[in-house]
Amino acid sequence: MDAIRAARLTRVYPQAPPGVRALDDLSLTVPSGRVFGLIGRNGAGKTTFIRIAATQLEPTAGQIEILGHDVMTQTDQVRARIACVPQESRPLYFLTVEEAIRLNLGLRGMSRQIARSRTQEVLGELSLTELATRSISRLSGGQRRRVMVAMVLATEAELIFLDEPTTGLDPIARREVWGAIRRATREGRTTLLTTHYLDEAETLSSRLALIERGRLVLEGTPQDLRGRVRSPYRVTVEGSFSLEELRSFGTARAIEPGFLVFASEANARALAQEALRRGARVAFGPVDLEDIFLEVVGRRIEDDREEAVAA
Amino acid sequence: MSLRQQFQAIGTLVQLNGLIPIRAQPLYLLNLLASPLSFLFFIGIASGGRLLGYGVAGGMILTMLSVGTGLQSDLTHYRHDLKFQDVIVSSPVTAPAYLVGMALSEFVYSLPGMAVFLGIWAYEGWWSWTNAIVLVGALVLVWAFASTLGFTLATYFEDVRETFMFSPLISLGLSVLPPVYYPISSLPGWAQKIALFSPTTYAAQLVQGASGQVAPSFAGAVVDWVVLGGFTLALLLLATAKARWREP
Repeated sequence: MDAIRAARLTRVYPQAPPGVRALDDLSLTVPSGRVFGLIGRNGAGKTTFIRIAATQLEPTAGQIEILGHDVMTQTDQVRARIACVPQESRPLYFLTVEEAIRLNLGLRGMSRQIARSRTQEVLGELSLTELATRSISRLSGGQRRRVMVAMVLATEAELIFLDEPTTGLDPIARREVWGAIRRATREGRTTLLTTHYLDEAETLSSRLALIERGRLVLEGTPQDLRGRVRSPYRVTVEGSFSLEELRSFGTARAIEPGFLVFASEANARALAQEALRRGARVAFGPVDLEDIFLEVVGRRIEDDREEAVAA
Repeated sequence: MSLRQQFQAIGTLVQLNGLIPIRAQPLYLLNLLASPLSFLFFIGIASGGRLLGYGVAGGMILTMLSVGTGLQSDLTHYRHDLKFQDVIVSSPVTAPAYLVGMALSEFVYSLPGMAVFLGIWAYEGWWSWTNAIVLVGALVLVWAFASTLGFTLATYFEDVRETFMFSPLISLGLSVLPPVYYPISSLPGWAQKIALFSPTTYAAQLVQGASGQVAPSFAGAVVDWVVLGGFTLALLLLATAKARWREP
């Protein structure tokens, strides 16, 4: 069974300017037991999608099922099986770290004994054991964020929504959160993740969806997404090339220091060989998610500009 | 979620929003005590103790109303600044369990104030089983409608600052204009008619009766109970229909 099945989902906020839709006829399927990454610019509709799926917000039109239950008509069944870390959420500041996690489990009906043991487990997983008795009010922003993630990962929820869970975390803390998410996946749970860290999305997610202006632009495995861009290889070169010359290999632009070229595999190899022949510094490899994001979103922004100029 | 688990959620909310913050900062308890005791002090001094009964009755009602306004501020703050309500919405905890749990947690803060007022009430010789039942029943209804009103409004406020604006207005409408601290007969005729629109008027008549200040007729007491109960029921129905648990 799929974890999420959204069909023609649309959301229009009451105060939005005419014609602006936070979600616009969006259809998306999230398979069970994996991490699914949702990426897109600020305001693209990621949080709106998560809030609808997590039963916090009503859709204007369309249908969405969570673990086989309709979000609007079978809400209780959905809520029993999900947990969510909303964007910019923080734990109650007068609790200790241990209390925040344990009491959240108590709220969800977990027995006191199991809640205590799950709390200790997740404290260890996210390196929070030393902070267990510290008041939330005395934690840094990143530590508070980690507590929010711990609160949700400690639950028994089959589907976990994480809306930008690692924002503000240092690289080590990010990797600890990644480890905890991977463990949740090994337990058979599904995670829907939004993030602006594209390396994180690519590292964790077995499938990804790119949303732009409420619409689904790309969806598939990270490898699928690479295959769908016009230039699947990136080459960076420094010295003894002009921009015009590089444009004969593919899409080229100046970066500091040198140039970045997106090209087909054959052209990328040819350019790399030419650069080596000239003794220039060169690096080449497949495009990463950030390149895909910039190409796809950038192309749409350009298209919109051209439409606006034509109009 | 079973009924037992809903009760567990209510108990956890009392612990989470009542007992633990008080343990961390006991001065919270003085917050709900300050205003009613100040009024009691002024009324007691100004009347030479003659109107002490009205001060005690008014103080108990004001304390219960403060539970509602405190709930409204806390829920708005938790919803907007911490996104706590979103965490709860996406969980098996139901809206009624959240309302009852949070309202009971706010009630915990009122216990010292209520202990003081009940102590004076008993010391002044107003204790009887009938009076005690009337007192507890009326105050429970005030707590219920004040909490329901606070919960419903909190789901609409866009910013915690809006609660600062509304709380004094609500207090004015429910505890200053209605005859909470004085007999309704003290008001001019036109004001008495306006006061009849407030549920606290009926609660005050019951509590003042249970405090030996007025002697209500049987029919008058029945009207007070029916109207107070009706107001509370209407607010509960309003909350069920209009409170924004899932944002429309």
